[in-house]
Amino acid sequence: MSPSTPGRTRTAPPRLPDKFPFEGRYRAYTLFDATGILYLMLGLLVLGSVWALGSGEAAWNHVQATYRSATYVIFHLIAIVAVVFVGVRFFSFFPKAQPPRIGPAKPPPEPVLLGMLYVAWIGVAGVLSIILAGGIF
Amino acid sequence: MKHTLLKLEPLIWLLFGQGIMIGTMLLTAWVLVVGLAVPLGIVPADALSFERAHMLGSNIIGRVVLLGLIVLPMWKGVHHMRHLFIDFGTGRDELIAPLLYLVALAGSLLGLIAVIRL
Repeated sequence: MSPSTPGRTRTAPPRLPDKFPFEGRYRAYTLFDATGILYLMLGLLVLGSVWALGSGEAAWNHVQATYRSATYVIFHLIAIVAVVFVGVRFFSFFPKAQPPRIGPAKPPPEPVLLGMLYVAWIGVAGVLSIILAGGIF
Repeated sequence: MKHTLLKLEPLIWLLFGQGIMIGTMLLTAWVLVVGLAVPLGIVPADALSFERAHMLGSNIIGRVVLLGLIVLPMWKGVHHMRHLFIDFGTGRDELIAPLLYLVALAGSLLGLIAVIRL
């Protein structure tokens, strides 16, 4: 006779890999996750800046003055390293994560897709940088 | 709560993925110019004078870009932070995940208000 309900499958308790979190390939994995802290902070900083912009000239100038402090400059130096790290890492595995087909269409070959991503990144960041820096408009 | 989060997973993943992809593209320019070049004097401060910044940010394209700069990095941020907490074995995902997503949701709503009031 078989039991009325199947028994619970026994499994080994989960265990962290030996090299987790900062050795071998886990270093990049952990750092990639940790950039989340910086991204959340950057989102909140942009929110504060836009809020100040909507509050008037005095509030906006105060934000600009705050950004000139050493603390904020160092934060943004760390942030740009993190942002470039995220972009390079994500774009390197994006082509590998594509399905072989999307409906009737096949994704382009990996090198082409990777090139397109870099062109988009450099293009968007470049145009936006030029606009923000006063080169256009 | 776990069931709700599972139902919302596609939306969360969409915002997370776009936070990495589009958020990274937009943040590169924002951090380089607003966070570094202007404060360090590489770009004249006039480039981000109140009048010019308001002119750039208050049109429809400017508002969409600013909203993307606020919302997308936040969702990328909280989703990766959730996984940091899971990976480091805190074992409180049912509490941490809703809290983090609530932070991103609140930030997103405030972001929407911020760009509307420009």
